[in-house]
Amino acid sequence: MNKGKTIALNSILVILSLITIVPFIWMLLSSFAPNSEIVKIGGSLFPTPSSISNYLDVQEKFNFLRMFANSLFIAITTTVIIIYTSALMGFVFAKFRFWGKNVLFGVVLSTMMLPWAVTIIPKYEMMVDFGWLDSYKALIIPSMVSGFGIFMFRQAISQIPDEMLEAARVDGASDFYIFHRIILPMSQNTIASLAIFQFLWSWEDFLWPYLMINNEEKQLLSVGLRMFNGQYGTDYGGLFAATSISIIPVIVIYIIFQKRFIAGVSSGSIK
Amino acid sequence: MNKKLTRFRFDMKTIAVLLLIIYFAIFLVYPIYKAFAGSLHNWNPLIDKYDFVGLDNFKNVLTSSLFWQSMKNTFTFAFFSVVFRIIFGLGLALLISSKFTKMRTVFQGLFYMPTITPLVAVSFVWMWMFDPQFGLINKIFNLDINWLKDSTWALPAIIIMTIWKDFGYATVLFLGGLMGLPEDVFEASKIDGASAWQTFWRITVPLLKPTTLFVLITSLITYLQAYIQILIMTEGGPGTSTYVISYLIFDEAFVKYNFGTASAMAIILFVMIGILTVLMFKATGERKMKS
Repeated sequence: MNKGKTIALNSILVILSLITIVPFIWMLLSSFAPNSEIVKIGGSLFPTPSSISNYLDVQEKFNFLRMFANSLFIAITTTVIIIYTSALMGFVFAKFRFWGKNVLFGVVLSTMMLPWAVTIIPKYEMMVDFGWLDSYKALIIPSMVSGFGIFMFRQAISQIPDEMLEAARVDGASDFYIFHRIILPMSQNTIASLAIFQFLWSWEDFLWPYLMINNEEKQLLSVGLRMFNGQYGTDYGGLFAATSISIIPVIVIYIIFQKRFIAGVSSGSIK
Repeated sequence: MNKKLTRFRFDMKTIAVLLLIIYFAIFLVYPIYKAFAGSLHNWNPLIDKYDFVGLDNFKNVLTSSLFWQSMKNTFTFAFFSVVFRIIFGLGLALLISSKFTKMRTVFQGLFYMPTITPLVAVSFVWMWMFDPQFGLINKIFNLDINWLKDSTWALPAIIIMTIWKDFGYATVLFLGGLMGLPEDVFEASKIDGASAWQTFWRITVPLLKPTTLFVLITSLITYLQAYIQILIMTEGGPGTSTYVISYLIFDEAFVKYNFGTASAMAIILFVMIGILTVLMFKATGERKMKS
């Protein structure tokens, strides 16, 4: 009975996961196929992979690796900063009392329902006034705080018992010490989940880099992909090659942090 | 940690709170104020124009048929995307968390693949999937639909792609929710002889209410302002069949540089999302996300 259930359930999951990843398989196979193979009338369902020329071409036609490196730099920097600020503010909101705390936390929560469209025009103007166009300051500084991140950390840190922090305090530990040596190490699950979420959001962000960066040397990959499609709209193999590579970093981040991911979501976002 | 000391001190807490307030003042309060002010002006940065026009922008927006068309498309898009995201997300989370499931982390990873793929990249792949001649969708299902160029099918095509891309996020949140459920309740219901079906509807679903509400609200907020897939795949077309509100705002602001009109639309969207969020909390009887 149980064996039958096990087989049935796992078969369903195998079939569903295959359906889910078909577009990836198709993209990957196409990225190794010449254009003539991809657009062959009456061709087979999946193109036959035969060469790596698409990958070489993309780099030659387009400064692909440069944009890849730029995106990696920005995504890692903003993710690290946001994890740190979120953990710190989460700690402050979870374990301290101060005047206006509930109002301020209400503001933090309300940032989650604030449409990007409301603030983007004024922020765009501010960046122009500051002279930050074409500078990574514009990509990093306005993105240092995340309402979602603060919320997750506050929920998780609330569950750390006060007695533990009191004990450290009695031993003469400063808040600074408690935060770095007790809170952060105990928040590894939340750090892992936020790393996965935030890295993806930074990596796939399109509009802000599109507005801020005009210099091709400094451009990010998501904007680059669209430019590539505009310039070489018929080079499908090249587009698939570029797209395939653009997915890798997010998958790597996921694999690094996945062990603690679900636990982090569980303790972090909702209870 | 009850701090009895109320005397002002430059400790970590004070510095952190002050920095957060300064940050919000610059990157949140000022831009929101500026958006409200801008919505009352004929504002075009290209010709350096900033003239007060009162509520004219709002009048023009609310009488524009493209705006209402976009609203209708936005709600259609958001409704189907949210409903299917929750159904697939919960369904798969239940399957994965079953004790009969082997290799949970592998399945979890595979189902999460689309979610961790950048939206710009996904949009390109699906443009090609929907291609009438060479696309996988028509080939597999033996259809003859020009998905993205047909005004009947363009929006459904974008919804299908969005559901595929996003159900993994709901799966993960529901898995997290299921993980946090108390074991003993399930033990008790088993001892009482409840069927799997009864356990699901009477215990799992009510206990997952906070998670469901969280998924519902965050998804709705996300989808009411989605536009990247539209920008890449259809640019609002064919005709105006896939114009959504955020794409319209993008177009008005950064293609036509009508900052005033775009700000007015953004504020309407803001108010709408605010009202919907409050209504959902009221309707579900949940006071806060965290009790």
